[in-house]
Amino acid sequence: MKRYTQHTTEFSDSAGVPFWKKAAPVDRVYIGYGLFIVLLVVISYILGATHFLPFDPQEINMDLLMAPPQTEGHLLGTDFMGRDILSRLIIGIQAYFLPGLLAIGIALVLGTCFGVLAGYWGGGLDIASTFLSNLLNSFPRLVLILLMVAAFKPNIYLVMAVVGITSIPTVASLIKSKIQFLKQKNFIEAATALGLKNAAIIFKHILWHNCRSVLIIQATLGMAEAILIETSLSYLGFGVQEPTPSWGNMVQSGANYFMQGNFWPSTAPALTILLTIMGFHLLGDGLNNILERKRDQ
Amino acid sequence: MRYPAFFKARSAMKLASIRPITVLISRELAIAVLLLLGVSFVVFLVLFLSPGDPFSSLLKEQMTSAAGSHPGESAPWYSQYLLWLANITRGNLGTSIRTGLPVLNEVIRVGINTLYLTLGSLLVTLLIAVPIAIVSARHGLTPVNWVLTMFTYVASALPVFWLAYIVIYISMHRFGLFPLAFGSSTQKWNWLHFMLPVLVLGLSNGTMGEVVRHMREELSRVFSEEYICTARAKGASIWKHAFKEGFLIPITEIIAAKIPYILGGAVVVEQVFNWPGMGRMAWQAAQDRDYPLIMAITLMAAIFVRLGSLIHRAVHIVVNPRSSRE
Amino acid sequence: MKRLASVFLTIFFLVLVMMLPQAGALSKEDGSPDGGALNYGEYGRPATLDPITSNDMIALRVCELIFNGLVGIDEKQEIVDDLAQRWDISEDGRIYTFYLRQDVTWHALEGQDPVPFTADDVIMTYNVMMHPQTITPLKVRYEFIDTVTKIDDYTVRFTLKRPILNALARFSFKIIPKHGLQNSEFITREDPFVQHPIGTGPYMLKNITAEREVILVANENYFKGRPHVDKFIARPFADQNIMGQALMFNAIDMIVLVNHRDIPQLQGDKRFVLQPYNALSYSFFGFNMRNPLLADKRVRKAFTYAVNRKEMLDSFFQGQGTIISGPFAPGSWAYNLDVAPLPYDPGKAQQLLTEAGFTRGDNGIMEKDGKPLSLTLKVPIAKESEAVKRVILAFRNYLSKIGVEINAEFQEWLAWKEDIFLNHDFDIMFASWVFDDSADISSLFHSAEAGPWKNNFGAFSNPDVDSLIVESKLTLDHEKRRTINRKLHDIIADENPYTFLWTLTNYAAYNKKLRRVAIHPYKFFTFADGWFIPKSEQR
Repeated sequence: MKRYTQHTTEFSDSAGVPFWKKAAPVDRVYIGYGLFIVLLVVISYILGATHFLPFDPQEINMDLLMAPPQTEGHLLGTDFMGRDILSRLIIGIQAYFLPGLLAIGIALVLGTCFGVLAGYWGGGLDIASTFLSNLLNSFPRLVLILLMVAAFKPNIYLVMAVVGITSIPTVASLIKSKIQFLKQKNFIEAATALGLKNAAIIFKHILWHNCRSVLIIQATLGMAEAILIETSLSYLGFGVQEPTPSWGNMVQSGANYFMQGNFWPSTAPALTILLTIMGFHLLGDGLNNILERKRDQ
Repeated sequence: MRYPAFFKARSAMKLASIRPITVLISRELAIAVLLLLGVSFVVFLVLFLSPGDPFSSLLKEQMTSAAGSHPGESAPWYSQYLLWLANITRGNLGTSIRTGLPVLNEVIRVGINTLYLTLGSLLVTLLIAVPIAIVSARHGLTPVNWVLTMFTYVASALPVFWLAYIVIYISMHRFGLFPLAFGSSTQKWNWLHFMLPVLVLGLSNGTMGEVVRHMREELSRVFSEEYICTARAKGASIWKHAFKEGFLIPITEIIAAKIPYILGGAVVVEQVFNWPGMGRMAWQAAQDRDYPLIMAITLMAAIFVRLGSLIHRAVHIVVNPRSSRE
Repeated sequence: MKRLASVFLTIFFLVLVMMLPQAGALSKEDGSPDGGALNYGEYGRPATLDPITSNDMIALRVCELIFNGLVGIDEKQEIVDDLAQRWDISEDGRIYTFYLRQDVTWHALEGQDPVPFTADDVIMTYNVMMHPQTITPLKVRYEFIDTVTKIDDYTVRFTLKRPILNALARFSFKIIPKHGLQNSEFITREDPFVQHPIGTGPYMLKNITAEREVILVANENYFKGRPHVDKFIARPFADQNIMGQALMFNAIDMIVLVNHRDIPQLQGDKRFVLQPYNALSYSFFGFNMRNPLLADKRVRKAFTYAVNRKEMLDSFFQGQGTIISGPFAPGSWAYNLDVAPLPYDPGKAQQLLTEAGFTRGDNGIMEKDGKPLSLTLKVPIAKESEAVKRVILAFRNYLSKIGVEINAEFQEWLAWKEDIFLNHDFDIMFASWVFDDSADISSLFHSAEAGPWKNNFGAFSNPDVDSLIVESKLTLDHEKRRTINRKLHDIIADENPYTFLWTLTNYAAYNKKLRRVAIHPYKFFTFADGWFIPKSEQR
């Protein structure tokens, strides 16, 4: 996951001006595009869940293998089994939904815990959490996944758990620096002086009021990460297995015919991945610019 | 990355005043060793918990071949770990299940190839990302560098093997070149064979966008700081001043932070381009459940990562010894 | 390993053709030019390079270049002399005496005098092979030998436990040098020899590069005359798509097994020769007859009727293969051509399921006594083999049309092997058998072979088949055996323990500069010492 430098200078919104009015036009474009992609993803998910698709994504048509786009109503053509690529792309997002949420969940929950422990209490906890973060950062993610695959059975949930765990340090360091910043501004001292309980300070004032946006941004980026990792793993043969479609295994199976000049079956899912991930990244960056840096100026 | 309270109390007062840089760097070294111990424990734990318990049989085989002594059937986990660790420190990582070759030599041999690939692509990433970052930090958002920035977003969102296929296809069908590195047949264009995998991994290891962003932020921060303004007012070159703070430290930080990502990407790129490196070997080992090999590769990769961050910390300490003590 | 590992299981068999030895060695005075190098691409790389511990096809091919056996095989599949120049067989067929060539030396190490090949090497090779601490797939093949004795330095005598058919062919095992091994009792993968083999063959190992390329150079002192091509280089590839392209861009000169999807492109290319060779292998779906639903022959037959093998073969393999009906490789003498493969007939499949007591359930899946016909199909992960994936998906599709639900599970190779051969935890599996030269199916279909790690993984059991298999093993008469095998074929085809699919035509592809290429069906390089490259094309 990405790591952002902290730029916060104020911890509470000063004026009633909506943040998006302060946003630079370019950030609005970023966020607009990102939200558009998120909307498309949600729509795809609903379409897939309700089976409202142009074709049955599992229907094999042996007479129409590797058809180019717009053949017999197949808008994006067919794949190596004559299945409709568009339908598989739409339903392919489902392969990432639960595993991706698992990765994001692990990263956010544990990362927040680590961050709070390190930032709020500090001392020995800080050392321990920094050590653990550095430890997790020492593993190249894909190599760790290969180790897990060798030790256990290859499974998309296992893989995504590893992705989540290796993302903990990023989230933890963001939360920690946020809290340290608040401490610097005597925010926490003030809250304690007001007689607030630790739990209330942490959950309400720190996490809810001040870290919300950081966490949302990290979740967005986490989804992008899950998709890219699954794509690489599909190429290595450890991704989501057929017949369940995932964008990664669609690119992989299409790529087998790439060298013969059949570009489309791999290009369609690859472009989908490209546009989606760009959407997530732009959304994350745009939000970060607005929510975290706007008060810089 | 920093250990704020670790040595603060003592080192700040007594040791640091004597020979600060040496002390600080040896502290970093000690931390790196501790972290590698931690890594070895995690690797051990994963295999210890895996079904079929490959670990104890592995250890037994190592022990019988080395010393002839059998650890008991149900040796407790900590003694198994310590035995294994003792073997590692003696340079005995076992032999590969598949080939029977000593793992250590194998991993060092392929590790060097992977190091070339990793460093090469880091260089490519930086060569592309840093100028973009500088331009946009100096001149703000112009159409040109907006396009460049978009390009970095595209690069970090591309599935790497798909890009590799495209590059191979184009280089063959457009230029009639076959871009595989490490051919024993001495063809011309060998440098190109070497360049393409490096280029592909450098472009699409998924970190380009972030590198640009990070560099731009650091540079703009430094540019806006007072002493730079003063320098500018005096007519001195701002680059000289901005170099250390805004350039050297962020770059080494990026290098340190991105090595794991690039090593991960190398697994895929090595596969496509037939690059005889560690990633390809890790994949093979995962397929064959060649435990000694995959363990050694994980350790080796962790060593690379730690080395990277050690360099970063060292640069940080040398450039700015005061701030790194805090 | 990969090729073998993910798609094929290998069993070794006896060779059928028994022939009189031919006198005299091949002369290399054939006027063909020497020189040039041959780069060939392999998918994956060999684990070890000795003939005993290695168990992958890649190593098998390399060993063919480095080593020789007592007897060899010629292009007509006939047994010829190799390291032994002649031999006697006793009347009762139990004693084989081999008279060795006296002009053979082992590949000389740098700066050392060549060591002559003697009877001691033969005896040691046999002993090492059979030593309990040696792990080798060859062992079971040589259990018929009782003792081996040295008569003199150039004469060896093997005594058999009992006479067996075609015993001579089995003496083609590769001989390794006594002075080569670290330990002359047994061989393990830790022995340096397995990475630096020394042989008597036409090529000797020069080195294995850091890129894991195996470089072999011509043996100037080869006893059958120096081979023509100076250098053989085996280059490992990790991505099969890229390997195909490597050939087309002259980065390599030969691919030993062309992917079927590359065939159309290569066929149109005048720079290359596509040479078919029959690999004596077939693919199948195997049923687990421990599952009561699959114990019924009619159900198994229904599955075979439901599958359109012709369509799959044409769509996925460019039609390069033969649909088969029974348990023998179609190229072999044992295959019964009178038994026709079951036709594609979903109606008939439906009818058979109904006869077996199945009715359509609510969700369209056939069921019997409340048990739905929903089965697990286990397939080893084969990243490289898109074709396998296609076959599995198509199979699922065909069966869903007759109301059978198949849950395909792609597994890592080792996990798959455990589930199939040890735990028997599957309903249907997909694999291929690769046969050596002929047809001994006893380990596949005899009911006594149904235990853990045995080849009758589906627990097929049929008394007629059992007795025919035993009868076939005992007979020493080739014709009689043929009749028995034809009967076996008939019964097994009817019992349908597998859905037999096809045997594919394998293709090697090589650059036209390479001449007089003859290819051995599975060892591939057996005749490589006769290949040559014309002077003008030797780059």
